[in-house]
Amino acid sequence: MQRNELKTGLTLISPWLIGFLALTLFPFLASLYWSFCEYDMLGSPRWVGLRNYRRLAAELADGGTFARALANTAYYAVVSVSLSVVMGITLAVSLSQKVRGRAIYRSLCFLPSVVPLVAASVLWMWLLDPQQGLVNGVLQTVHLPAQNWFQSTSSALWPSSWPADHMGRVFGSKDGLVLMSLWGIGNLLIIYLAALGDIPKGLYEAAELDGAGRVRQFLHITLPMLTPVIFFNVVMGLIQSVQAFTQIYLVSDGRGDPAGSTLTLSMHLFLTAFKDLDMGYASAMAWVMFVLVMLVTIWLFRTSRHWVHH
Amino acid sequence: MPDKNLVPVRQKAFWAHVWLLLIAGVMTAPLVWMVLTSLKGPEQIAAAPYSWWPRPWHWENYAKAMQAIPFLRYLTNSVVLCLGSVLGTLFSCSVVAYGFARLRWPGRDLLFGMMIATMLLPWQVTMVPRFLVIRELGLYDSLGALIFPKFFGEAFYIFLLRQFFLTLPQEMIDAARVDGCSELGVLWRVVLPLARPALATVALLEFIAAWNDYGGPLLYLNDPQRFPLAYGLEQFVSSHSSEMHLLLAAAVLFTLPVVVLFFFAQRLFVRGITTTGLKD
Repeated sequence: MQRNELKTGLTLISPWLIGFLALTLFPFLASLYWSFCEYDMLGSPRWVGLRNYRRLAAELADGGTFARALANTAYYAVVSVSLSVVMGITLAVSLSQKVRGRAIYRSLCFLPSVVPLVAASVLWMWLLDPQQGLVNGVLQTVHLPAQNWFQSTSSALWPSSWPADHMGRVFGSKDGLVLMSLWGIGNLLIIYLAALGDIPKGLYEAAELDGAGRVRQFLHITLPMLTPVIFFNVVMGLIQSVQAFTQIYLVSDGRGDPAGSTLTLSMHLFLTAFKDLDMGYASAMAWVMFVLVMLVTIWLFRTSRHWVHH
Repeated sequence: MPDKNLVPVRQKAFWAHVWLLLIAGVMTAPLVWMVLTSLKGPEQIAAAPYSWWPRPWHWENYAKAMQAIPFLRYLTNSVVLCLGSVLGTLFSCSVVAYGFARLRWPGRDLLFGMMIATMLLPWQVTMVPRFLVIRELGLYDSLGALIFPKFFGEAFYIFLLRQFFLTLPQEMIDAARVDGCSELGVLWRVVLPLARPALATVALLEFIAAWNDYGGPLLYLNDPQRFPLAYGLEQFVSSHSSEMHLLLAAAVLFTLPVVVLFFFAQRLFVRGITTTGLKD
């Protein structure tokens, strides 16, 4: 009887099982093996031991391309994820007010996230065009300095990357990418809105009776009740921003331009594999990236005990 | 005497609307700008001071954009890609989800856990060997390279469907089994008809994912005859990078179907996101 059930079960899931073995598990193990090889896809892989990993460590030590790719990725991930938390909560709280036409406001704020990445990238390249772009136009009408966005290597939140005579022109290519990612915040917004809706109304009523103002209600009820979603946002946002590729490839001419300032790990990896045909080195990089993301995720789960409210 | 509370409440609502209009305005301004700019002539785009409204309206930009790239060919490829992907996804994911949801068998939970774990695996880790597997299968440079893997299910959709299947009443499934239905028969006659909303969500999300996919064509396609729109549009970017109006017209045409789908099926989007978390 049990064998029969096992057979039926395995038969039903066989599409996934076959795909898993051929398109996930085998590639997973193969890339681990190739990370110890020299492999150009034309010949067969040649074992070189730890050479690829040593090369990564050397580049990390002397500030080579890998170190810069890691720094670019970290900047993009940290800035876009933290701003997405702030913006997600702000938008969700605003959009959960009981006003007429709320559904329309919500739809409009969600809309940008359905715009295909290719179209969004084309659009933002022009929105952030230093001369003709809408964003600089708006900045100048309110007497703020125009920014060079995708044509600048500067990062607004990293002062040592600012050009010497910046005159307030400190926003660069990575900040443009952050802006683009915030524009597509819709999915996250829906999750925050759902979480806000799940907070028991009685908590607010009780707080009001105790004389707590709106700010205190937000700090002592809303924020703690949202911590599970904030945690989800941070973990998923981190994983996704490290893997972000299409928009970065598109706005950087497929090269990580300007001057490697948008060469993130996923860009560097793709170019190493499919432009340089250095599959061994690319595989090693992929594994380092995987392990790093895992470690950060585990660390986040550990710290979550102290701040996530269950 | 008017109610004292009435005025502040109204005022509060007024400021709430101002704030919400501001937010919604900022979020949609890029799209409005895209549509309006796609209808301007090149001389107006270059002219200062900046003006939002096209003068005159250059509707011919759209015809020009469609002629500048093999639009119909790309569109056909996109439609084939989307239909094939949706078909493959619906078939594989519903069968697999049923196997995980409504049947007890040894090892099920372990395999299900493994499937969930694969969702956390960055695509970069498997990218290179996966590329070689697809190439070995003789699928390189064909839409098959993008459609074929869809017939093996995707963890996210399987999870979504399983969650839905779990909510169906066990009595109906048992009744069908007693009537002599095979497991596939139960799935086909009882479960799938009840799961239509969930299937629609999966179909919608997969259609859009296939429509938008850029990385897949970049990796697997070489012959321009096989490009879907998402990739063809980018080729247009590199060859016409100075003609903003045409470029944006092409981008509008490419975005339009997704936006229309969104307005018709908002509820499905929301369900897809809230039942399982994020989908990018």
